[in-house]
Amino acid sequence: MRLILLFAFFAVIGLALETAIPHLISFRPLLPNLIVILAVDLGFRHHSTTAALLAFAIGYATDAFAGSHPGLNAFMITLIFLVCFEISSRLMVTNAFVGATVVFFGVILTALGAIAISAGVEAVGRSGSIMPSLTLQAGLSAIIAPMVFAILARCKRAIGLPVSPARE
Amino acid sequence: MRGGFLWRNRVLLTAGMLLVLSLHLVTTGVHPGDLAARPQSMFLEILRPIDAALARVSESARSIVNGYLELVHVREENVRLRTELARVTSDQARLAELEAENQHLSELLELRDVLGLHAVAANVIGSDATGLSHTLILSAGSSNGLRPGMAVLSNQGVVGKIIAISPHASRVLLIDDHNSALDGFDQRSRARGIVAGVVDEGLILKYVDRSQDLRSGDAIVTSGLDGIFPRGLLVGTIKTVHREGPGLFLSIGITPGVDFRSLEQVLVVTQQPPQLDDKIKG
Repeated sequence: MRLILLFAFFAVIGLALETAIPHLISFRPLLPNLIVILAVDLGFRHHSTTAALLAFAIGYATDAFAGSHPGLNAFMITLIFLVCFEISSRLMVTNAFVGATVVFFGVILTALGAIAISAGVEAVGRSGSIMPSLTLQAGLSAIIAPMVFAILARCKRAIGLPVSPARE
Repeated sequence: MRGGFLWRNRVLLTAGMLLVLSLHLVTTGVHPGDLAARPQSMFLEILRPIDAALARVSESARSIVNGYLELVHVREENVRLRTELARVTSDQARLAELEAENQHLSELLELRDVLGLHAVAANVIGSDATGLSHTLILSAGSSNGLRPGMAVLSNQGVVGKIIAISPHASRVLLIDDHNSALDGFDQRSRARGIVAGVVDEGLILKYVDRSQDLRSGDAIVTSGLDGIFPRGLLVGTIKTVHREGPGLFLSIGITPGVDFRSLEQVLVVTQQPPQLDDKIKG
């Protein structure tokens, strides 16, 4: 329950910023993808069915504010959770650097995957013009990811949740 | 059983089932009134006050910045004058903001009168959360008479249509989104086509025969045949016409008539535009 409340709180903050700020600042790539960062943290540090459901719920909540195909972000965020879960099950170390790297590729793959599913695979080939801004957003997300992980870890410690991977 | 295959792989299996569920939602779609649409409406409702508050904060911040910029020019003046000027400037910025808002709403009212259709004005309070799709969040919802599928307009032209709704908020799919399409025609040559969005920026006009005489600068307007947008509203102007290359149709790029990034107020047409059948019956 504490895990659900914590991530629900961060997801609301993330979605509020991601929906309100682009309306004020026209340059969208300057806004990091906080939802992907949350999914990566869930996949790396919470090996439970609750975490999987939470990743799906965060993605489905994102669908309420993004895109025209409900389920698309739920799919991509659950997929990121699954990839991170698999990585952390196999790697000895899942530190902030690994997290930031996964966030970088996660942001790019989420975007391209969402375009491929909603507009067809051929649309990915035509989306070259969005790559520079997408790479910038992925880079910024990767830079702030360790900070967000640290804030999450501090909050988890404060409410008595495990910070390192723990199985149910 | 704790040692069993299902227990050992429960996270993997749960995530796998959730992936299948998500794909099912994407492929079948979520219709208004479906059980799956309820959480979406709830999420939209939860975030609406936060988005509205952030929009208000940004307006105040803008007023303060404007006030500060005005103050830079009067630094040499004495403290009393500066304080007085700050107050006046702040009031002026606030009044200018109100005047601009008043102007927008007056223009929208004029548009509503010209259209002769029932319409509701709404404030834009948010944008697409991922930025990959082109959508907006409005401050009006089902309690204001809005329904999914309704046309959204501005005094500059067509904006989009409502795709999701909650009691006090709604989401608009902009016409430049890659999943958006509407029926339009060239005002000069009368050539018809489908106006569609693209992944990055701008619009394209599809399925226009190569023999048609379309030129850069021509206005593209709605045909009204899609049953959503009233006929004759500006969609945009033709930017490029490519006749080279294979294929049966022209490749036409359009610059949207509406600057979607600067939208503050919009008009939602709550009455369905007259259909061809109605006209025949009339």
